[in-house]
Amino acid sequence: MTYSSPSRWVNPNHHDDLARIFDEPRNSEARHAHVLKVSETAHTRLREDAEKILQEALLREETERILAEKRREQDRLLAEQKLAEEHQRLNELRKKKIEIPPLLPEPKPGVAPVVNGNFKPAPSQTTPTTANIGQPSVNPFGKPPFQAVAAAPAAQATAIPNKQPTEPAKPPVLGINALLNGNLTTNGAVPAIATPKPVPTPPTSAPQTDRYSQIHKNLKILRKSMMEQAKVNRALKERMGDMRREIRKSVGQLTGGAPGVNKTQQQKIVTLLREALSNRVDSQPMDPSNFVLKPRNPMEGTLHNQATLPSLFLYLLNVFSKAVISQFINEASARPETADPVGVCVAAAFSEPDFLWRGESLIDILLAKFRIVCPVLFGYRGSEKTEQGRQRLGWWKDGGHWIPDQQHMDRMTGLGAGFAAISLRNFTKSKKENPYPARNYWAAMVKIVRTPPSEISNTQCVVLKAMIQNYEAKFIDAFGNAAVAALRAALIQFPAKAPEKSAAVNSLHVLAQVLKRDTGLNLG
Amino acid sequence: MADLASRITKPAEEPAASNTVPEDSIEGANSVGLVESSYDVEVKLADLQNDTDSPLYSVTSFDQLGLPSQINDGLLAMNFKKPSKIQEKALPLMISNPPTNMIAQSQSGTGKTAAFVLTVLSRVDFTKPEQPQALLLAPSRELARQIQGVIQTVGQFCDNLKVEAAIPGAVSREFGVKASIVVGTPGTVMDLVRRRQFDVSQLKVLVIDEADNMLDQQGLGEQCVRVKGMLPKTIQILLFSATFPDKVYNFAKKFAPNANEIKLRHQELTVKGISQMYMDCPDEGKKYDILCKLYGLMTIGSSVIFVRTRESANEIQRRMEEDGHKVSALHGAFEGANRDALLDDFRSGRSKVLITTNVLARGIDVSSVSMVINYDIPMKGAGDREPDSETYLHRIGRTGRFGRVGVSISFVYDKKSFDALSYIANFYGIDLIQLSPDDWDETEKKVQDVIKSSRARPEYAPNALGN
Repeated sequence: MTYSSPSRWVNPNHHDDLARIFDEPRNSEARHAHVLKVSETAHTRLREDAEKILQEALLREETERILAEKRREQDRLLAEQKLAEEHQRLNELRKKKIEIPPLLPEPKPGVAPVVNGNFKPAPSQTTPTTANIGQPSVNPFGKPPFQAVAAAPAAQATAIPNKQPTEPAKPPVLGINALLNGNLTTNGAVPAIATPKPVPTPPTSAPQTDRYSQIHKNLKILRKSMMEQAKVNRALKERMGDMRREIRKSVGQLTGGAPGVNKTQQQKIVTLLREALSNRVDSQPMDPSNFVLKPRNPMEGTLHNQATLPSLFLYLLNVFSKAVISQFINEASARPETADPVGVCVAAAFSEPDFLWRGESLIDILLAKFRIVCPVLFGYRGSEKTEQGRQRLGWWKDGGHWIPDQQHMDRMTGLGAGFAAISLRNFTKSKKENPYPARNYWAAMVKIVRTPPSEISNTQCVVLKAMIQNYEAKFIDAFGNAAVAALRAALIQFPAKAPEKSAAVNSLHVLAQVLKRDTGLNLG
Repeated sequence: MADLASRITKPAEEPAASNTVPEDSIEGANSVGLVESSYDVEVKLADLQNDTDSPLYSVTSFDQLGLPSQINDGLLAMNFKKPSKIQEKALPLMISNPPTNMIAQSQSGTGKTAAFVLTVLSRVDFTKPEQPQALLLAPSRELARQIQGVIQTVGQFCDNLKVEAAIPGAVSREFGVKASIVVGTPGTVMDLVRRRQFDVSQLKVLVIDEADNMLDQQGLGEQCVRVKGMLPKTIQILLFSATFPDKVYNFAKKFAPNANEIKLRHQELTVKGISQMYMDCPDEGKKYDILCKLYGLMTIGSSVIFVRTRESANEIQRRMEEDGHKVSALHGAFEGANRDALLDDFRSGRSKVLITTNVLARGIDVSSVSMVINYDIPMKGAGDREPDSETYLHRIGRTGRFGRVGVSISFVYDKKSFDALSYIANFYGIDLIQLSPDDWDETEKKVQDVIKSSRARPEYAPNALGN
């Protein structure tokens, strides 16, 4: 145990000192010094070993971290690739759709663009500026917000050489004048009112539609990201669910009646959104460009100019929009008049000055949802007798089956009324800016009314009826005589040119009768 | 080694073996689904049955019924595009000549009212607007007024349409009934006839809505029989209800002899479009708070809450108003015009929550009602001993109108309420889904899933839609 027989491990010839030391009594100073030295060496070696191991461990961790990151990157790439494939498929789908019109007897230059109604390369040029601004924000979308827009048309442009039709396609909206002029011969005052309003829409109308689909996809990613964040952010998890349910409840509590009856509910929604904007629960910042129609640059003198907003705020706007759409589908479908107070609330919330981003509202989040559930408002057409046609009309599927007729028409009724409730708000007495002015209502109506007779669908008739009924007065307020002419086009001429006089078509005639009886408005 | 290997493989085998057990039970659940009969309405023909030439056609559009164009326009204005199954089956039988009696049963919210209203409108001669030609009886003033409203809406394009409600306080004492169509409660109608203020000599149609209830109850049943005794013998009698217990059915057949019959088995009575759930409340005191939380779980249009007592109705009203809801509470403490006003608020959407005792379990149709809550489970008999299955059915039938999506949630908090609900669920063969108030994120998800899956059922309310 002790150094009782030193000769066994030290060579006395080479270590005289040691020999001497060992010859000395056990407790000599030299012996102690030596033992001390030995143990010190051992200690140092041990320490060095430990340090080395630590280094190695750190290194290993670092490698793992890098590996994990790599994996994440790979996942992201995979997701991107998937998205790209989806786009590819979408494009191919579109290609197919575009090939259909030529087969039909009449050549319809107006149709292809509507079907095709997608992005033009122009907006993509501005992309880099917006996309590059986003620095520390999370970007679960895999690519800069507008890159997708840029990529798709590029792919398509090569696939369909005559991309040009999109450009001449814009005139359809302008074309409302032609349509109106037919009726306007008696109505000299009209053009003055009619022209300035619809004009602003044409350049945007075509690219709008598919950008909305992209926004809709991005919103799904946003929702997933929130669920992920909630897993690691306790404070967020605790608040998010309650906020979501509060908003849904408040939207459900809105009622018709005297002005001001919904003040409490409206305030509650705004308060919740404001809480999300303050980001006390520390949700990740996110680039709002992912959720807007057109790239936005910082604007001087506006409140939120930064490249990001709290993701919780964007998510709650999404929740609010979803609640609104759902209220239209579930309630206004049965009683269209219930859409109106919801429309008021939408306009109030989205126009709230501190909810604007770079000087404009974030209402595109809601419109993206509209585009998915009620495409005919955005100029999409289709036959109710074909799978593809139904898809393009927004005919819902449940459990793999198309929902029944009546249910679909109910939905369209609610959504048509809801669209009018949002787009026909009067902001003339308000200091705030209208997030979705009436020209959008006009544009939507034009897109339906201009449908070639052979392509008129019941869905369009139902939506058209719902967006007019109870809103004729507001429509006329906004557009004067032009609105009367448009109503004539929608309720008299449009059903007259429909080849099949279905119940839905006839109900437009009946609405004209009701208007005559109840308001004295004689459309002829 | 071999020993170790056996120890490793064994546990793996065990779960594999135990997996088959749940699979079996899943199959069991599926087979229950398969046993559920489809929704076809049975049509039993009285006289027409032997007539091979009889046009036993099924109409697929209102046009094909050959209704006057004004009535058709009224339907279009109401967004009615296609007849429901009960309308498709019953209407041709009811409007054909010579007039034949009809006893018709169909689930709540499938268009019974419109079916008899169309029959009545097609039988009335509008050139005699003040001569009573059709009489419709309902068990409550609310229901009578509602039917009156439906007639006026469907008939909005009919010139000279006059509909009067024969309910307490509505008919002029001086002039009596001066309308071609009269909707009323039996007691008031009887009084008017006796006082010679209601000329019944030219009545062509008698409709009794909620017929089982009308013919069953001691007072009402007697009154109905008396009223019938005062009417022309040739009158066409139409009896309608969602429920027809057997003993009432036999009586109904005597009341309306030689009738065509449309009847359902009781397993077919619940509407598939209504997702039925129950909330497991820890104790009675927690029910208020839980109630308020429900409104965040899903999108709700209007809702009806059924309670046992006036006191709890008032308390719930107070709490819900605090929570931002606009509420009407309607119970026996209110009468006449007050009740009308409260219900009108709810109908028009000025209030979206209706709290009520049993008064309104039957017939009231507000199309946007998307949730019904049984705050207390319906009971009947002395001391509320017995679960009341019929009332349960009529209550939940206030939602899911005409093929729409509806939700019903029943509150359970002790053994008695749990047993009562289980009894009702067994009676109709329904699977009630349990909800718990512990984790609202979870409950929200569950509710959303339930609503989705009930919509996705292939046989989802096809009867209401005729397809």
